[in-house]
Amino acid sequence: MPILLPEKKHEKLILENGKRLDGRDLDEIRPFKCEIGVLSNTDGSAYVEHGGNKIFAGVYGPREVHPKHLGLPDRGVLKVYYRMATFSVHERASPAPNRRALEISKIIEDAITPTLFLELYPDSAIEVYVMVIAASGGTRCASTTAVSLALADAGIPMKTLVAGLAAGKANGKIILDCSDEEDKAGEADIPCVIQMKDEKICLLQFDGDMTPEELDTAISLVKKGAKQIFQKMTEAIHQKFENIQKETELEIEKMIQQQDIDSINNIESTIENETEMKNEYDNIDINKKDFDFNNIDNKKNKLEEFDEEEEDFEQ
Amino acid sequence: MVESNGAQTREIVYPGQVISTDPEKIPGRGTIKENGKILSIFIGIKEEYGKYLNVVPLRGQIYTATVGDKIIGKIIERTPVKWILDINSNVEAILKPSDVMEKEKIETKSKRLSKREEETEIMKLFNVGDVLIVKVISGDRLSTPLLTTIGEGLGKLNDGIVLQIEVPKIPRIIGKQGSMINILKKYTNCKIFVAKNGRIWVRGKTFEYEQLLIEAIYKIEKESHTFKLTDRIEYYLKEEKKKRGLK
Repeated sequence: MPILLPEKKHEKLILENGKRLDGRDLDEIRPFKCEIGVLSNTDGSAYVEHGGNKIFAGVYGPREVHPKHLGLPDRGVLKVYYRMATFSVHERASPAPNRRALEISKIIEDAITPTLFLELYPDSAIEVYVMVIAASGGTRCASTTAVSLALADAGIPMKTLVAGLAAGKANGKIILDCSDEEDKAGEADIPCVIQMKDEKICLLQFDGDMTPEELDTAISLVKKGAKQIFQKMTEAIHQKFENIQKETELEIEKMIQQQDIDSINNIESTIENETEMKNEYDNIDINKKDFDFNNIDNKKNKLEEFDEEEEDFEQ
Repeated sequence: MVESNGAQTREIVYPGQVISTDPEKIPGRGTIKENGKILSIFIGIKEEYGKYLNVVPLRGQIYTATVGDKIIGKIIERTPVKWILDINSNVEAILKPSDVMEKEKIETKSKRLSKREEETEIMKLFNVGDVLIVKVISGDRLSTPLLTTIGEGLGKLNDGIVLQIEVPKIPRIIGKQGSMINILKKYTNCKIFVAKNGRIWVRGKTFEYEQLLIEAIYKIEKESHTFKLTDRIEYYLKEEKKKRGLK
Protein backbone atom coordinates (compact mmCIF):
# COMPACT_ATOMS: atom_id res chain seq x y z
CA MET A 1 0.00 0.00 0.00
CA PRO A 2 1.45 3.38 -0.95
CA ILE A 3 1.99 6.00 1.70
CA LEU A 4 1.08 9.62 1.25
CA LEU A 5 4.10 11.77 2.15
CA PRO A 6 3.29 13.66 5.33
CA GLU A 7 3.90 17.38 5.65
CA LYS A 8 7.35 18.35 6.93
CA LYS A 9 7.62 18.77 10.67
CA HIS A 10 10.28 20.50 12.72
CA GLU A 11 10.99 19.67 16.34
CA LYS A 12 11.89 23.20 17.33
CA LEU A 13 9.77 26.10 16.17
CA ILE A 14 12.22 28.73 17.38
CA LEU A 15 15.86 28.42 16.40
CA GLU A 16 18.86 28.95 18.68
CA ASN A 17 19.57 32.42 17.29
CA GLY A 18 16.13 33.60 18.41
CA LYS A 19 14.64 33.62 14.90
CA ARG A 20 11.70 31.58 13.69
CA LEU A 21 11.70 28.84 11.06
CA ASP A 22 11.07 31.28 8.21
CA GLY A 23 13.70 33.72 9.49
CA ARG A 24 11.33 36.18 11.15
CA ASP A 25 11.72 37.82 14.54
CA LEU A 26 9.22 36.94 17.26
CA ASP A 27 7.17 40.11 16.70
CA GLU A 28 7.48 40.34 12.93
CA ILE A 29 4.53 39.84 10.57
CA ARG A 30 4.65 37.92 7.30
CA PRO A 31 4.79 39.96 4.05
CA PHE A 32 1.40 41.52 3.40
CA LYS A 33 0.02 42.76 0.10
CA CYS A 34 -3.48 43.83 -0.89
CA GLU A 35 -5.40 45.36 -3.74
CA ILE A 36 -8.99 46.59 -4.22
CA GLY A 37 -11.30 46.50 -7.22
CA VAL A 38 -9.82 43.34 -8.73
CA LEU A 39 -13.01 41.53 -9.83
CA SER A 40 -15.05 43.34 -12.47
CA ASN A 41 -18.28 41.32 -12.12
CA THR A 42 -18.81 42.21 -8.46
CA ASP A 43 -19.95 45.44 -6.83
CA GLY A 44 -16.73 45.55 -4.83
CA SER A 45 -13.77 43.24 -4.37
CA ALA A 46 -10.39 42.80 -2.74
CA TYR A 47 -7.37 40.53 -2.95
CA VAL A 48 -5.14 39.83 0.02
CA GLU A 49 -1.79 38.07 0.14
CA HIS A 50 -0.62 37.42 3.68
CA GLY A 51 2.40 35.13 3.81
CA GLY A 52 1.28 32.03 1.92
CA ASN A 53 -2.42 32.94 2.05
CA LYS A 54 -4.03 34.11 -1.16
CA ILE A 55 -7.60 35.25 -0.70
CA PHE A 56 -10.22 36.87 -2.92
CA ALA A 57 -13.37 38.52 -1.56
CA GLY A 58 -16.29 39.76 -3.67
CA VAL A 59 -19.33 41.77 -2.54
CA TYR A 60 -22.82 41.81 -4.01
CA GLY A 61 -25.51 44.13 -2.81
CA PRO A 62 -27.24 45.46 -0.86
CA ARG A 63 -29.95 43.50 -2.67
CA GLU A 64 -33.15 41.61 -1.86
CA VAL A 65 -32.89 38.70 0.55
CA HIS A 66 -33.63 35.24 -0.77
CA PRO A 67 -35.33 33.35 0.85
CA LYS A 68 -37.34 36.33 2.03
CA HIS A 69 -38.01 35.13 5.59
CA LEU A 70 -34.32 35.64 6.39
CA GLY A 71 -34.70 39.40 5.93
CA LEU A 72 -35.15 41.67 8.94
CA PRO A 73 -37.65 44.56 8.89
CA ASP A 74 -35.43 47.01 10.77
CA ARG A 75 -31.97 46.33 9.38
CA GLY A 76 -30.08 44.56 6.66
CA VAL A 77 -28.18 41.33 7.05
CA LEU A 78 -24.58 40.56 6.21
CA LYS A 79 -24.00 37.09 4.75
CA VAL A 80 -20.47 35.80 4.37
CA TYR A 81 -19.70 32.63 2.44
CA TYR A 82 -16.21 31.33 3.18
CA ARG A 83 -14.89 28.61 0.86
CA MET A 84 -11.56 26.92 0.39
CA ALA A 85 -10.43 25.86 -3.04
CA THR A 86 -9.79 22.13 -3.36
CA PHE A 87 -6.14 22.81 -4.15
CA SER A 88 -5.56 25.31 -1.36
CA VAL A 89 -4.19 22.87 1.24
CA HIS A 90 -1.73 19.97 1.33
CA GLU A 91 -4.39 17.25 1.07
CA ARG A 92 -7.35 17.86 -1.21
CA ALA A 93 -10.07 19.86 0.58
CA SER A 94 -13.64 18.79 -0.06
CA PRO A 95 -15.51 21.51 -1.96
CA ALA A 96 -18.66 20.91 0.10
CA PRO A 97 -19.23 23.37 2.94
CA ASN A 98 -18.17 21.77 6.20
CA ARG A 99 -18.36 22.66 9.86
CA ARG A 100 -15.16 24.70 9.73
CA ALA A 101 -16.29 26.79 6.75
CA LEU A 102 -19.62 27.54 8.45
CA GLU A 103 -17.84 28.57 11.65
CA ILE A 104 -15.46 30.92 9.90
CA SER A 105 -18.31 32.44 7.84
CA LYS A 106 -20.16 33.12 11.08
CA ILE A 107 -17.25 34.68 12.95
CA ILE A 108 -16.41 36.96 10.01
CA GLU A 109 -20.04 38.13 9.92
CA ASP A 110 -20.00 38.80 13.66
CA ALA A 111 -16.67 40.64 13.50
CA ILE A 112 -17.65 42.90 10.60
CA THR A 113 -21.32 43.63 11.45
CA PRO A 114 -20.65 46.19 14.26
CA THR A 115 -18.59 48.31 11.86
CA LEU A 116 -21.41 48.68 9.29
CA PHE A 117 -24.55 50.85 9.21
CA LEU A 118 -26.88 47.95 8.40
CA GLU A 119 -29.95 49.90 9.58
CA LEU A 120 -29.72 51.82 6.29
CA TYR A 121 -30.76 48.75 4.30
CA PRO A 122 -33.84 47.11 5.87
CA ASP A 123 -35.14 43.93 4.21
CA SER A 124 -31.97 43.56 2.17
CA ALA A 125 -28.80 41.55 2.31
CA ILE A 126 -25.15 42.24 1.61
CA GLU A 127 -23.50 39.07 0.39
CA VAL A 128 -19.76 38.52 0.54
CA TYR A 129 -18.07 35.54 -1.07
CA VAL A 130 -14.61 34.66 0.22
CA MET A 131 -12.45 32.25 -1.77
CA VAL A 132 -9.23 30.95 -0.31
CA ILE A 133 -6.94 30.10 -3.23
CA ALA A 134 -3.97 29.15 -1.09
CA ALA A 135 -3.95 28.59 2.66
CA SER A 136 -1.02 28.72 5.00
CA GLY A 137 -2.28 29.44 8.52
CA GLY A 138 -4.37 32.36 9.70
CA THR A 139 -6.91 32.38 6.87
CA ARG A 140 -9.74 33.62 9.11
CA CYS A 141 -7.78 36.74 9.99
CA ALA A 142 -6.69 37.43 6.42
CA SER A 143 -10.25 36.76 5.19
CA THR A 144 -11.68 39.33 7.60
CA THR A 145 -9.21 41.90 6.31
CA ALA A 146 -10.19 41.07 2.72
CA VAL A 147 -13.92 41.30 3.49
CA SER A 148 -13.47 44.70 5.14
CA LEU A 149 -11.57 46.04 2.12
CA ALA A 150 -14.09 44.61 -0.34
CA LEU A 151 -17.01 46.21 1.53
CA ALA A 152 -15.24 49.58 1.50
CA ASP A 153 -14.60 49.17 -2.22
CA ALA A 154 -18.32 48.47 -2.78
CA GLY A 155 -19.13 51.88 -1.29
CA ILE A 156 -20.98 50.50 1.73
CA PRO A 157 -20.88 53.00 4.61
CA MET A 158 -18.76 51.76 7.49
CA LYS A 159 -17.39 53.18 10.73
CA THR A 160 -13.90 51.79 10.33
CA LEU A 161 -11.73 49.33 8.49
CA VAL A 162 -10.65 46.24 10.41
CA ALA A 163 -7.44 44.27 10.32
CA GLY A 164 -7.06 40.63 11.39
CA LEU A 165 -3.94 39.09 12.86
CA ALA A 166 -3.10 36.11 15.06
CA ALA A 167 -0.73 35.75 17.96
CA GLY A 168 0.42 32.49 19.50
CA LYS A 169 2.84 30.67 21.74
CA ALA A 170 5.58 28.35 20.58
CA ASN A 171 8.41 26.82 22.59
CA GLY A 172 7.28 28.93 25.57
CA LYS A 173 7.59 32.25 23.74
CA ILE A 174 4.88 34.63 22.53
CA ILE A 175 4.96 35.02 18.76
CA LEU A 176 3.08 37.27 16.35
CA ASP A 177 1.36 36.13 13.17
CA CYS A 178 1.55 32.32 13.38
CA SER A 179 2.40 30.46 10.21
CA ASP A 180 0.73 27.14 9.35
CA GLU A 181 3.22 25.01 11.24
CA GLU A 182 3.36 27.24 14.30
CA ASP A 183 -0.41 27.21 14.32
CA LYS A 184 -0.59 23.42 14.39
CA ALA A 185 2.42 22.49 16.55
CA GLY A 186 2.49 25.53 18.86
CA GLU A 187 1.04 25.68 22.36
CA ALA A 188 -1.55 28.41 21.77
CA ASP A 189 -3.20 30.37 19.00
CA ILE A 190 -5.20 33.62 19.33
CA PRO A 191 -6.83 34.98 16.17
CA CYS A 192 -7.75 38.64 16.67
CA VAL A 193 -9.58 41.27 14.64
CA ILE A 194 -8.96 44.91 15.54
CA GLN A 195 -11.12 47.94 14.66
CA MET A 196 -8.55 50.39 13.43
CA LYS A 197 -10.50 53.49 14.49
CA ASP A 198 -9.98 53.04 18.22
CA GLU A 199 -8.14 49.70 18.50
CA LYS A 200 -11.15 47.89 19.93
CA ILE A 201 -11.21 44.12 19.53
CA CYS A 202 -14.14 42.71 17.55
CA LEU A 203 -12.98 39.08 17.34
CA LEU A 204 -10.98 37.09 19.85
CA GLN A 205 -10.69 33.32 19.76
CA PHE A 206 -8.45 31.26 21.97
CA ASP A 207 -6.99 27.82 21.62
CA GLY A 208 -4.31 26.44 23.97
CA ASP A 209 -2.60 27.32 27.26
CA MET A 210 -1.45 30.75 28.37
CA THR A 211 -1.17 32.79 31.55
CA PRO A 212 -3.12 36.06 31.78
CA GLU A 213 0.12 38.06 31.55
CA GLU A 214 1.10 36.25 28.37
CA LEU A 215 -2.32 36.97 26.91
CA ASP A 216 -1.85 40.69 27.58
CA THR A 217 1.50 40.76 25.81
CA ALA A 218 0.05 38.75 22.92
CA ILE A 219 -2.76 41.26 22.43
CA SER A 220 -0.41 44.23 22.60
CA LEU A 221 1.74 42.53 19.95
CA VAL A 222 -1.34 42.01 17.76
CA LYS A 223 -2.26 45.68 18.02
CA LYS A 224 1.24 46.65 16.96
CA GLY A 225 1.17 44.28 13.98
CA ALA A 226 -2.34 45.33 12.94
CA LYS A 227 -1.08 48.89 12.51
CA GLN A 228 1.48 47.69 9.97
CA ILE A 229 -1.21 45.80 8.06
CA PHE A 230 -3.55 48.78 8.22
CA GLN A 231 -0.90 51.02 6.69
CA LYS A 232 -0.61 48.66 3.71
CA MET A 233 -4.41 48.68 3.36
CA THR A 234 -4.63 52.47 3.21
CA GLU A 235 -1.73 52.57 0.75
CA ALA A 236 -3.63 50.17 -1.51
CA ILE A 237 -6.73 52.40 -1.39
CA HIS A 238 -4.74 55.53 -2.22
CA GLN A 239 -2.73 53.83 -4.94
CA LYS A 240 -5.78 52.82 -6.94
CA PHE A 241 -7.09 56.36 -7.33
CA GLU A 242 -3.81 58.24 -7.39
CA ASN A 243 -2.57 56.19 -10.34
CA ILE A 244 -5.50 57.51 -12.37
CA GLN A 245 -4.72 61.05 -11.22
CA LYS A 246 -1.11 60.71 -12.40
CA GLU A 247 -2.19 59.45 -15.81
CA THR A 248 -4.48 62.41 -16.28
CA GLU A 249 -1.75 64.89 -15.40
CA LEU A 250 0.22 63.73 -18.43
CA GLU A 251 -2.92 64.08 -20.53
CA ILE A 252 -3.39 67.68 -19.38
CA GLU A 253 0.16 68.58 -20.46
CA LYS A 254 -0.46 67.07 -23.88
CA MET A 255 -3.76 68.91 -24.15
CA ILE A 256 -2.26 72.31 -23.38
CA GLN A 257 0.49 71.86 -25.99
CA GLN A 258 -2.00 70.75 -28.63
CA GLN A 259 -4.43 73.55 -27.86
CA ASP A 260 -1.82 76.22 -28.55
CA ILE A 261 -1.18 74.87 -32.03
CA ASP A 262 -4.82 74.21 -32.83
CA SER A 263 -6.14 77.55 -31.69
CA ILE A 264 -4.17 79.38 -34.37
CA ASN A 265 -4.93 77.12 -37.31
CA ASN A 266 -8.37 75.67 -36.99
CA ILE A 267 -10.75 78.20 -35.49
CA GLU A 268 -12.60 79.10 -38.65
CA SER A 269 -12.83 75.63 -40.18
CA THR A 270 -14.23 73.95 -37.06
CA ILE A 271 -16.98 76.52 -36.63
CA GLU A 272 -18.16 75.98 -40.18
CA ASN A 273 -18.18 72.21 -39.82
CA GLU A 274 -20.21 72.26 -36.65
CA THR A 275 -22.89 74.55 -37.98
CA GLU A 276 -23.34 72.33 -41.04
CA MET A 277 -23.61 69.30 -38.84
CA LYS A 278 -26.30 70.88 -36.67
CA ASN A 279 -28.46 71.88 -39.59
CA GLU A 280 -28.29 68.38 -41.00
CA TYR A 281 -29.20 66.86 -37.70
CA ASP A 282 -32.20 69.09 -37.05
CA ASN A 283 -33.92 67.95 -40.23
CA ILE A 284 -34.04 64.28 -39.26
CA ASP A 285 -36.83 62.82 -37.12
CA ILE A 286 -34.99 60.61 -34.71
CA ASN A 287 -37.65 59.71 -32.21
CA LYS A 288 -41.03 58.32 -33.10
CA LYS A 289 -42.63 59.43 -29.88
CA ASP A 290 -40.70 62.67 -29.90
CA PHE A 291 -39.72 62.90 -26.26
CA ASP A 292 -38.29 66.32 -25.64
CA PHE A 293 -35.63 65.71 -23.04
CA ASN A 294 -33.95 68.96 -23.81
CA ASN A 295 -36.91 71.13 -22.93
CA ILE A 296 -36.17 74.02 -20.68
CA ASP A 297 -38.23 73.08 -17.64
CA ASN A 298 -36.66 69.70 -17.46
CA LYS A 299 -33.20 71.10 -17.71
CA LYS A 300 -33.81 73.74 -15.08
CA ASN A 301 -35.03 71.19 -12.57
CA LYS A 302 -32.05 68.98 -13.18
CA LEU A 303 -29.63 71.82 -12.77
CA GLU A 304 -31.19 73.04 -9.58
CA GLU A 305 -30.97 69.62 -8.04
CA PHE A 306 -27.36 69.09 -8.91
CA ASP A 307 -26.11 72.61 -8.40
CA GLU A 308 -25.48 72.15 -4.72
CA GLU A 309 -23.41 69.04 -5.16
CA GLU A 310 -21.58 70.36 -8.13
CA GLU A 311 -20.45 73.67 -6.77
CA ASP A 312 -18.13 72.10 -4.29
CA PHE A 313 -17.23 69.07 -6.40
CA GLU A 314 -16.14 70.86 -9.53
CA GLN A 315 -12.88 72.74 -9.48
CA MET B 1 -9.12 77.88 -6.40
CA VAL B 2 -7.09 75.36 -8.40
CA GLU B 3 -3.80 75.87 -10.19
CA SER B 4 -3.87 75.48 -13.93
CA ASN B 5 -1.16 72.82 -14.03
CA GLY B 6 -3.29 70.34 -12.09
CA ALA B 7 -0.44 69.36 -9.76
CA GLN B 8 -2.65 69.72 -6.71
CA THR B 9 -4.42 66.47 -5.80
CA ARG B 10 -7.75 65.99 -4.13
CA GLU B 11 -7.42 64.30 -0.75
CA ILE B 12 -8.62 60.71 -0.77
CA VAL B 13 -9.94 59.40 2.54
CA TYR B 14 -10.83 55.92 3.79
CA PRO B 15 -13.54 54.71 6.22
CA GLY B 16 -12.70 55.59 9.80
CA GLN B 17 -10.16 58.28 8.94
CA VAL B 18 -10.27 61.33 11.21
CA ILE B 19 -11.00 64.27 8.92
CA SER B 20 -11.11 67.00 11.51
CA THR B 21 -10.98 67.58 15.25
CA ASP B 22 -12.10 71.21 14.95
CA PRO B 23 -15.12 71.68 17.27
CA GLU B 24 -16.60 74.38 15.00
CA LYS B 25 -16.92 72.09 11.99
CA ILE B 26 -20.20 70.26 11.34
CA PRO B 27 -20.28 66.71 9.97
CA GLY B 28 -22.00 66.74 6.56
CA ARG B 29 -22.74 64.00 4.04
CA GLY B 30 -20.61 60.87 4.26
CA THR B 31 -19.30 61.60 7.74
CA ILE B 32 -20.08 60.85 11.40
CA LYS B 33 -19.08 62.55 14.63
CA GLU B 34 -17.65 60.52 17.47
CA ASN B 35 -15.99 61.84 20.64
CA GLY B 36 -15.47 65.26 19.05
CA LYS B 37 -13.81 63.81 15.97
CA ILE B 38 -15.32 63.86 12.49
CA LEU B 39 -14.79 60.55 10.69
CA SER B 40 -15.31 59.52 7.08
CA ILE B 41 -17.55 56.53 6.35
CA PHE B 42 -16.61 56.03 2.69
CA ILE B 43 -13.65 55.74 0.39
CA GLY B 44 -14.06 59.17 -1.10
CA ILE B 45 -12.92 62.74 -1.55
CA LYS B 46 -12.88 65.14 1.39
CA GLU B 47 -14.27 68.57 0.78
CA GLU B 48 -15.11 71.64 2.85
CA TYR B 49 -18.24 73.61 2.24
CA GLY B 50 -18.48 76.50 4.68
CA LYS B 51 -18.74 74.97 8.13
CA TYR B 52 -19.65 71.58 6.71
CA LEU B 53 -17.24 68.75 6.02
CA ASN B 54 -18.42 66.30 3.37
CA VAL B 55 -17.07 63.12 1.86
CA VAL B 56 -18.11 62.39 -1.72
CA PRO B 57 -17.97 58.61 -2.23
CA LEU B 58 -15.81 57.31 -5.07
CA ARG B 59 -17.53 53.96 -5.27
CA GLY B 60 -21.05 52.70 -4.74
CA GLN B 61 -23.71 51.09 -6.85
CA ILE B 62 -26.87 51.52 -4.86
CA TYR B 63 -29.56 54.10 -5.51
CA THR B 64 -32.08 55.04 -2.81
CA ALA B 65 -35.44 56.08 -4.26
CA THR B 66 -36.49 59.63 -3.40
CA VAL B 67 -39.80 61.20 -4.39
CA GLY B 68 -39.72 63.16 -7.64
CA ASP B 69 -36.67 61.50 -9.20
CA LYS B 70 -36.87 60.58 -12.88
CA ILE B 71 -35.24 57.19 -13.30
CA ILE B 72 -34.87 54.41 -15.85
CA GLY B 73 -36.32 51.03 -14.88
CA LYS B 74 -36.59 47.64 -16.51
CA ILE B 75 -39.67 45.46 -16.11
CA ILE B 76 -38.66 42.13 -14.60
CA GLU B 77 -42.08 40.74 -13.68
CA ARG B 78 -45.74 41.20 -14.66
CA THR B 79 -48.61 40.12 -12.45
CA PRO B 80 -52.33 40.61 -13.28
CA VAL B 81 -52.43 43.84 -11.26
CA LYS B 82 -48.93 45.39 -11.35
CA TRP B 83 -45.50 45.48 -12.94
CA ILE B 84 -42.31 45.01 -10.91
CA LEU B 85 -39.32 47.04 -12.04
CA ASP B 86 -35.60 46.78 -11.45
CA ILE B 87 -34.41 50.31 -10.62
CA ASN B 88 -30.83 49.55 -9.53
CA SER B 89 -31.84 49.78 -5.88
CA ASN B 90 -31.74 47.32 -3.02
CA VAL B 91 -35.52 46.96 -3.39
CA GLU B 92 -37.66 46.44 -6.47
CA ALA B 93 -40.22 49.10 -7.42
CA ILE B 94 -43.90 48.76 -8.34
CA LEU B 95 -45.83 50.31 -11.22
CA LYS B 96 -49.62 50.07 -11.02
CA PRO B 97 -52.02 50.32 -14.00
CA SER B 98 -53.69 53.39 -12.49
CA ASP B 99 -50.37 55.27 -12.76
CA VAL B 100 -49.90 54.63 -16.48
CA MET B 101 -50.46 57.42 -18.96
CA GLU B 102 -52.06 55.43 -21.75
CA LYS B 103 -55.07 54.89 -19.55
CA GLU B 104 -56.85 57.90 -21.09
CA LYS B 105 -56.37 56.63 -24.61
CA ILE B 106 -58.01 53.31 -23.84
CA GLU B 107 -60.96 55.00 -22.17
CA THR B 108 -61.77 57.02 -25.24
CA LYS B 109 -61.29 54.15 -27.65
CA SER B 110 -63.37 51.48 -25.99
CA LYS B 111 -66.41 52.64 -24.09
CA ARG B 112 -68.14 51.24 -21.08
CA LEU B 113 -65.43 49.04 -19.69
CA SER B 114 -65.72 47.82 -16.14
CA LYS B 115 -62.81 48.68 -13.88
CA ARG B 116 -61.40 45.19 -14.04
CA GLU B 117 -61.63 45.03 -17.83
CA GLU B 118 -59.95 48.38 -18.06
CA GLU B 119 -57.10 47.20 -15.86
CA THR B 120 -56.51 44.09 -17.93
CA GLU B 121 -56.46 46.27 -21.07
CA ILE B 122 -53.78 48.51 -19.55
CA MET B 123 -51.74 45.56 -18.34
CA LYS B 124 -51.25 44.56 -21.99
CA LEU B 125 -49.27 47.76 -22.65
CA PHE B 126 -45.89 46.76 -21.23
CA ASN B 127 -44.18 43.40 -21.20
CA VAL B 128 -41.31 41.86 -19.31
CA GLY B 129 -38.03 43.29 -20.64
CA ASP B 130 -39.40 46.73 -21.55
CA VAL B 131 -37.31 49.71 -20.46
CA LEU B 132 -39.25 52.70 -19.13
CA ILE B 133 -38.51 56.22 -17.96
CA VAL B 134 -40.52 56.59 -14.76
CA LYS B 135 -40.95 59.00 -11.87
CA VAL B 136 -40.97 58.05 -8.19
CA ILE B 137 -44.21 59.13 -6.51
CA SER B 138 -43.65 57.58 -3.10
CA GLY B 139 -41.10 55.57 -1.27
CA ASP B 140 -38.02 55.84 0.86
CA ARG B 141 -35.57 53.39 2.28
CA LEU B 142 -38.23 51.78 4.47
CA SER B 143 -41.05 51.26 1.95
CA THR B 144 -41.33 49.89 -1.56
CA PRO B 145 -41.10 52.68 -4.17
CA LEU B 146 -44.20 53.41 -6.27
CA LEU B 147 -43.69 54.66 -9.81
CA THR B 148 -45.68 56.51 -12.45
CA THR B 149 -45.39 57.12 -16.18
CA ILE B 150 -47.75 60.11 -16.11
CA GLY B 151 -45.73 63.22 -16.89
CA GLU B 152 -43.71 64.87 -19.56
CA GLY B 153 -40.99 62.79 -21.13
CA LEU B 154 -41.97 59.64 -19.28
CA GLY B 155 -42.93 56.32 -20.82
CA LYS B 156 -41.57 53.39 -22.74
CA LEU B 157 -38.26 53.68 -24.59
CA ASN B 158 -38.46 52.35 -28.12
CA ASP B 159 -34.85 52.79 -29.23
CA GLY B 160 -31.43 53.93 -28.06
CA ILE B 161 -28.91 52.46 -25.67
CA VAL B 162 -29.06 52.41 -21.87
CA LEU B 163 -25.79 52.47 -19.91
CA GLN B 164 -25.23 51.75 -16.27
CA ILE B 165 -22.62 53.67 -14.30
CA GLU B 166 -21.91 54.15 -10.61
CA VAL B 167 -24.54 56.30 -8.89
CA PRO B 168 -22.21 58.82 -7.14
CA LYS B 169 -20.70 59.76 -10.54
CA ILE B 170 -23.96 60.98 -12.06
CA PRO B 171 -23.40 64.64 -11.03
CA ARG B 172 -20.10 64.58 -12.95
CA ILE B 173 -21.84 63.51 -16.16
CA ILE B 174 -23.99 66.64 -15.90
CA GLY B 175 -21.21 68.91 -14.67
CA LYS B 176 -21.32 72.36 -13.15
CA GLN B 177 -24.21 74.30 -14.68
CA GLY B 178 -24.67 71.42 -17.14
CA SER B 179 -21.27 72.11 -18.72
CA MET B 180 -20.25 68.50 -19.22
CA ILE B 181 -23.52 67.29 -20.72
CA ASN B 182 -23.56 70.26 -23.11
CA ILE B 183 -20.10 69.34 -24.39
CA LEU B 184 -21.13 65.72 -24.86
CA LYS B 185 -24.20 66.80 -26.82
CA LYS B 186 -22.29 69.34 -28.90
CA TYR B 187 -19.52 67.04 -30.07
CA THR B 188 -21.47 63.81 -30.58
CA ASN B 189 -24.87 65.12 -31.71
CA CYS B 190 -26.63 62.57 -29.55
CA LYS B 191 -29.72 62.81 -27.39
CA ILE B 192 -28.89 62.04 -23.77
CA PHE B 193 -31.11 61.45 -20.76
CA VAL B 194 -29.32 61.13 -17.43
CA ALA B 195 -31.39 59.32 -14.82
CA LYS B 196 -30.64 59.63 -11.12
CA ASN B 197 -30.32 55.90 -10.56
CA GLY B 198 -27.08 55.68 -12.54
CA ARG B 199 -28.57 54.85 -15.92
CA ILE B 200 -28.04 56.93 -19.03
CA TRP B 201 -30.08 56.71 -22.23
CA VAL B 202 -28.31 57.74 -25.41
CA ARG B 203 -29.54 57.91 -29.00
CA GLY B 204 -27.39 59.22 -31.85
CA LYS B 205 -27.45 59.69 -35.56
CA THR B 206 -25.21 56.72 -36.27
CA PHE B 207 -23.65 54.00 -34.17
CA GLU B 208 -20.18 55.58 -34.48
CA TYR B 209 -21.33 58.69 -32.61
CA GLU B 210 -23.05 56.60 -29.97
CA GLN B 211 -19.91 54.54 -29.49
CA LEU B 212 -17.79 57.65 -29.04
CA LEU B 213 -20.26 59.03 -26.51
CA ILE B 214 -20.35 55.78 -24.54
CA GLU B 215 -16.56 55.67 -24.36
CA ALA B 216 -16.50 59.28 -23.19
CA ILE B 217 -19.06 58.52 -20.46
CA TYR B 218 -17.01 55.59 -19.19
CA LYS B 219 -13.94 57.83 -19.20
CA ILE B 220 -15.77 60.37 -17.02
CA GLU B 221 -16.82 57.59 -14.66
CA LYS B 222 -13.26 56.31 -14.31
CA GLU B 223 -11.63 59.73 -13.89
CA SER B 224 -14.35 61.45 -11.89
CA HIS B 225 -11.96 62.45 -9.09
CA THR B 226 -9.36 64.16 -11.32
CA PHE B 227 -8.78 67.77 -12.34
CA LYS B 228 -9.80 69.68 -15.45
CA LEU B 229 -12.16 66.90 -16.44
CA THR B 230 -14.45 69.01 -18.61
CA ASP B 231 -11.53 70.41 -20.62
CA ARG B 232 -9.97 67.01 -21.04
CA ILE B 233 -13.21 65.42 -22.23
CA GLU B 234 -13.60 68.21 -24.80
CA TYR B 235 -10.04 67.58 -26.00
CA TYR B 236 -10.61 63.81 -26.01
CA LEU B 237 -13.75 64.11 -28.12
CA LYS B 238 -12.02 66.42 -30.61
CA GLU B 239 -9.04 64.10 -30.99
CA GLU B 240 -11.12 60.94 -31.24
CA LYS B 241 -13.33 62.50 -33.91
CA LYS B 242 -10.23 63.28 -35.96
CA LYS B 243 -8.89 59.74 -35.50
CA ARG B 244 -12.17 58.07 -36.41
CA GLY B 245 -12.89 60.33 -39.33
CA LEU B 246 -16.15 61.69 -37.94
CA LYS B 247 -17.31 65.15 -38.88
